[in-house]
Amino acid sequence: MRLYWEVAKRAFQRQLAYRTANLAGLTTNAFFGYVRAAVFVAAFTAQGEISGYDLRAAITYTWITQALIMVVMLWGWWDVAATITTGQVVSDLSKPFSYLGFWLARDVGRALYFLMFRAGPIMLVGELLFDLRWPRSSDVWLCFAGSLVLANLVSFGCRFLINLSAFWLTDAKGVGALVFTSIYFLSGLVVPLRLLPEGIQAVALALPFAGILQTPADVFLERVMGAELVTAVALQAFWAMALLVLSQVTLLAATRRLVVQGG
Amino acid sequence: MAVIFETGGIYRRLIGAHLRSQMQHKVSFVLRTLGTFAANFFDFAGIAVLFGRIPQLSGWSLPEVALLYGISSLCFATAELFGGALDNFDTVILQGTFDRVLLRPLDALFQVLTEEFALRRLGRMAQGGLVLGIALAQLPVSWTAGKVLFLAISLVSGTALFLGIFVLGAAYCFWIVQGKEATHVVTYGGDFMSNYPMDIYSHWLKRFATFVLPIGFVSYYPSLYLLERSDPFGLPDWFRLMGPVAAAAVCLAAWCAWRGGVSQYQSTGS
Repeated sequence: MRLYWEVAKRAFQRQLAYRTANLAGLTTNAFFGYVRAAVFVAAFTAQGEISGYDLRAAITYTWITQALIMVVMLWGWWDVAATITTGQVVSDLSKPFSYLGFWLARDVGRALYFLMFRAGPIMLVGELLFDLRWPRSSDVWLCFAGSLVLANLVSFGCRFLINLSAFWLTDAKGVGALVFTSIYFLSGLVVPLRLLPEGIQAVALALPFAGILQTPADVFLERVMGAELVTAVALQAFWAMALLVLSQVTLLAATRRLVVQGG
Repeated sequence: MAVIFETGGIYRRLIGAHLRSQMQHKVSFVLRTLGTFAANFFDFAGIAVLFGRIPQLSGWSLPEVALLYGISSLCFATAELFGGALDNFDTVILQGTFDRVLLRPLDALFQVLTEEFALRRLGRMAQGGLVLGIALAQLPVSWTAGKVLFLAISLVSGTALFLGIFVLGAAYCFWIVQGKEATHVVTYGGDFMSNYPMDIYSHWLKRFATFVLPIGFVSYYPSLYLLERSDPFGLPDWFRLMGPVAAAAVCLAAWCAWRGGVSQYQSTGS
């Protein structure tokens, strides 16, 4: 356990070195947050509520999703695939730790950094520019924290699996780009998934990707409460487990293949 | 004249080499082109989904917003096809490869531009063109020869404007090499904000996008003219035709910024 803690700590500290880069990314995320929010302000002038969100909730939705982009690392992430292509993966695999656990620990450290230094400031900027809707009780904050942890596990599982495809495909990035693109939409970043037509909406909400942004945002906004909240978070937990198990199984299959190739 | 022909010849040869190398992995090329098509397809799908819930946005209908989106997307994708290398200019400086560029007997900007020619961006161009085509087919525009010509000019000047912004973004790296991502506010962000009518933005942003960095001339002002809409800011009618002037101004500013950056460039040191 000590080892993974140290790995997570190093990953966190590594990010601290990129202060200017973080400030630059923050500016970009905030600008997109502003434009997306402006679209909603215009959309709500004619009607008070859309798909169960009022204007304030919709604006907050754009800012919270924009704030979490880097926490859940929605854009391309190829760290594992890079070690597979260079062959460094062999030395990592031969070390006496869980390979999955090692990368997960690194990702947790990275996510914590972005939660503190990216998501936090962006929500502050959003609050200054617009009047955001904040959770009204500590219970909601607690559920949000839980949902956010699960969101990261789901996101990590998806990303790890995409990266592992590099064991089989020479061009994992080509295939991965298509998957990342789908996640970009199906996570609820472009529009809240609840705005989709009913049939498609039910499917989209049941997919693992909804657990990356849509679910934590809905928990934050109290758009889901009571039984609905429990179902949403349980579904997130199910996908997180399923993806991590699938990652481990895939990893085992990949290492067996790697041994065959070796020598 | 001879110089232009010679440079043109070198450009063709360098780009040809990029194309041949990309065609070595045909499956990869097809997948990536589909990927860029899909990424932008989803962006537009988001707009369409929103319009499924609301009839109009600040008085603009879905086909009208699609016109904004189509023009902006097509211009941006074309600019990215030719100037995509500029978005990675920070690594050129960080790795010190710019020193090598300066040693060669060719214009530095020309060399940087020919570093990359990602044909997968055709996927994005196709998507923008498709949305533009559908929008034009649905809109009751009374076409005249003047309007057709104006649309063609607008597409060229919008592309030039975005190319100018890419050069500005690269020039920024001469001064601030960390934090290239901030330039995405005006590159990707500029494209993104051009997808919507400027009526929805605050006054300072409208003024900024009209008089400081005239991104509004990519799709908003040309669309006002094509749709014969009145200008909500009360600017005179001739003003919306000034796209080429705006593009020329941006390109000139970009060229000056680039020259200024090159002349004070001091390498990365070690």
